Amino acid sequence: MATHPDDEANSSEHDDAATVRTSRTVPALEAIRKTTDRILALLCMVIFVALVVIVSWQVFSRQILQDSAPWTEEAARYTFVVLALLGAALVFSERGHIAVELLASRFPVAGQLIISVAVELIVIFFAVFVFVIGGYRVAANAWNQGLSTLPLSVGQVYMVLPLVGILITFYSIYHLITVLLNGERPTPSVDETAEVI
Amino acid sequence: GSSTAEGQAAGGETTTLQLALNQTEEHPSYISLDAFGDRLVKSTDGRFDIEVFPNEQLGAQADTLQLVSDGVVDMAIVSGAQLENLSKDFIAFNLPTVFDSVEHQMSVVNNPEITGDLYSSLAESNSVSVVGGLTQGARSIYTKTAPAETPADLAGQKIRVQESELFLALVEAIGASPTPMAFGEVYTALQSGVIDGAENNEVSYFTQKHHEVAPFFSYTNHLIGLDYLIINSNTLEGMSDEDRAAFDEEWTGTYEQHTTLWGEATDDAIAGATAAGATFTEVDSDAFTEALEPLVDQFLTEPSQKKLYDAAREASTK
Amino acid sequence: MDTLTVTTIVLLGGIALLLAFGVPVAVAMGLPSAFAIVLLLGWEGAALTSAQRVFSGSNSFALLAIPFFILAGGLMTNGGIATRLIDLALVVAGRLPASLAQTTVVANTMFGAVSGASVASAAAVGTVLSPRMKKDGYDPAFSAAVNAAASPAGMLIPPSNTFIVYSLVSGTSIAALFMAGIGPGLLWSAVCFVMVAIYARKHPELRSHVRPSLRQALIVFLRALPALALIVVVIGGILSGFFTATESAVIAVLYALILGLVQRTLPVRDLPKVILEAAKTTSIVMLLIGVSGILAWVLSFSRIPQTISEKLLSFTDNPAIILAIIMVVLLLAGTIMDPTPAILIFTPIFLPVVVSVGVDPIHFGAMMVFNMCLGNISPPIGNNLFVAARVAKVKIEPVIGRLMPFFWALCIGLLIVTYIPELSTWLPTQLGLMP
Ligand code: NA
Ligand code: NA
Repeated sequence: MATHPDDEANSSEHDDAATVRTSRTVPALEAIRKTTDRILALLCMVIFVALVVIVSWQVFSRQILQDSAPWTEEAARYTFVVLALLGAALVFSERGHIAVELLASRFPVAGQLIISVAVELIVIFFAVFVFVIGGYRVAANAWNQGLSTLPLSVGQVYMVLPLVGILITFYSIYHLITVLLNGERPTPSVDETAEVI
Repeated sequence: GSSTAEGQAAGGETTTLQLALNQTEEHPSYISLDAFGDRLVKSTDGRFDIEVFPNEQLGAQADTLQLVSDGVVDMAIVSGAQLENLSKDFIAFNLPTVFDSVEHQMSVVNNPEITGDLYSSLAESNSVSVVGGLTQGARSIYTKTAPAETPADLAGQKIRVQESELFLALVEAIGASPTPMAFGEVYTALQSGVIDGAENNEVSYFTQKHHEVAPFFSYTNHLIGLDYLIINSNTLEGMSDEDRAAFDEEWTGTYEQHTTLWGEATDDAIAGATAAGATFTEVDSDAFTEALEPLVDQFLTEPSQKKLYDAAREASTK
Repeated sequence: MDTLTVTTIVLLGGIALLLAFGVPVAVAMGLPSAFAIVLLLGWEGAALTSAQRVFSGSNSFALLAIPFFILAGGLMTNGGIATRLIDLALVVAGRLPASLAQTTVVANTMFGAVSGASVASAAAVGTVLSPRMKKDGYDPAFSAAVNAAASPAGMLIPPSNTFIVYSLVSGTSIAALFMAGIGPGLLWSAVCFVMVAIYARKHPELRSHVRPSLRQALIVFLRALPALALIVVVIGGILSGFFTATESAVIAVLYALILGLVQRTLPVRDLPKVILEAAKTTSIVMLLIGVSGILAWVLSFSRIPQTISEKLLSFTDNPAIILAIIMVVLLLAGTIMDPTPAILIFTPIFLPVVVSVGVDPIHFGAMMVFNMCLGNISPPIGNNLFVAARVAKVKIEPVIGRLMPFFWALCIGLLIVTYIPELSTWLPTQLGLMP
């Protein structure tokens, strides 16, 4: 669950899913972010539908056609990993990942600003270290390791890690610039119907 | 091994080799590898010890293979299928019909004259050296409703397989319908009837309690499973000649102990499952061999693979 | 200081510090874990291992149930199924004293049986019933409290994404866990039901609300029937062997989709938004799961769980005392933590301990999820508490006061789940799902 409990102020003003309250922006950066958001959103929707189709086909082929399609399990797993990681990048655009903002929100504005900058720098460090550098190395290691039932290599699927790392880094740089330009914390969106499990 | 203190008592630094394993602490692989460490401490005067991490704690086999290659973890137990991803030559020892028995298998995969080039072939490209092989026993098919004496008995039955091109082809060759599924789901899937059967060795059949839900074990012996002990090449090359000799000697003791433990575990599993009402049935093995033989030509495409396969067959005492 | 102590301090201190300053939980959990690997193995090994864990964490067929149950829940909430279930709950509980409060309990139970999560249930039920309760003279803080208290039952009653997460880290069967959750889930609802009944005796002005004719009742029931049939499809499909527990989730998606389209309650133009929202929610959970893999790896590598386990077992090997200690730790963690990260962090530490003293992993899963449900309503941070307050348009503080009696009564429920294993293990054992 994102954000503080009694944040009534911003629960009404977010019709758009991508919601960071901003007054001053860098137009070029804003445009790139919007386009990236749209592409990622479209990809997530298409991949999710594909996932539903693949697993439905698994049940249908086994139970109705009585002839299991052997590729479905592997295809579903890797499709799912790609969906989960691309979606995670998109959620960074909205600062929508679960965070405990209880303590940070009690600081005075200047303190909150410093914390915001620090948080984004920490996210960037994590994204570059684990996703970009680590992800690239895993992908390179497994580049020739073929999947069992699909004409792809494990390394090629692993490349989603550095890609997602670059996207997260971009979004965090965007938030960083927004914070510094506006001198205030951008407020993450609150979606009250979001299922948190 | 847990004898680090003993090793340090002998003076000097102890290098503890981390070994990643996918099996539990009760499995013959864990017991023999843990004992490997205990003996290695003694025979290297405390310079080397082995710490075994069971239960996939450090990752699944595909992951730990990468970790060994990168030197994050020193050693791991990986299946032949994992090494096939790095060099197609390993497929020669993974095929049906290549080994007659566990004894035959062990005499081949731990014979440097046959395996020397193969086991060092990954050192330069992947920094991985193969130490040797541990048997995972002959694999057979078990089913819910009736024993399978001939391939015809399995026609159309949904048999769970691991996700591997070879196993898919193998179950198809027998005439059944291969259904890839995660190992952890197999018990429930057998119980509820999502699948009609699965294939594995007697030990897994019993320890996973699959005999409770699929009581008909048919000795198809379609393949003899094989795990390899791999080690990071730099770690291996960093050993002195003396320590390396001790390491190799203790390894011989390890796979011998493992083979003995495996035999005992297999007997215990058969006894336990029989007592619980499972039946073990001999099959028309000629019929199964006939169905499986085309796979050898299908999967052996390179002369180097064929050479290894033939060397293994020549070592057969049958 | 030895390596183990340093690693433990880096891990626990680092995670606590980053969490406190509002770093996203996934990063707050992942960065100290990756850094602990750096201390053990150097930078290169740490980067590679961490990336591998994040990827492998999602690379599991069993986890596929999570996005599907989330999507099915989204389709049902948007497709009018929620409203029909609430109408049915009104008929079921309508004749009872404080009927709207009891309706809230019943509706959350029904919703829990068709949905994999519980926050959507609190939102859907509260949005419909809170205004009506206010009009009928209920204290708005109390109506929010009832909704918050009742809604977590959906995490226990199958299907349940929380149990799927536990299944992943504990290596237990999802089907068995689903069946194990029914008893504790119904106990949860029963406790809420009793607490509302006690409240109703003290507030006789809150009378029964609906006295529908048999004909009206029948119509409401028939309208809700297709939604209720989903329970039969999912559970029946799993038990009959038509599909696995994982596959049942995709069946739930197809069912909710077809139902919404046929009943014309789900506008086709809403579909992209529902799918996208489900994808994002999935990703939030999956990133946590992936990153927790880094933590689990470094814990194993530095043998921290074994050390904690040995310390605990040297103190006592009485299962009852060990379970009591663990339950208190989890309750405290649950005050600020979400169920998914809490289960991912604590299961690898505690499960080996309890198994070594003879506790069944399925039973432990049931009590852990029950505990996490309490965490979802306990202040200061609880998802169901926040959402219930928000949809009832009241502040958190007064709701907490009204909620505490429920909380303490449910703690007694936790004792029952913890010390009467049969409540959770009887059903899966009878169905042959537990080896
Ligand atoms: Na549920
Ligand atoms: Na809480």
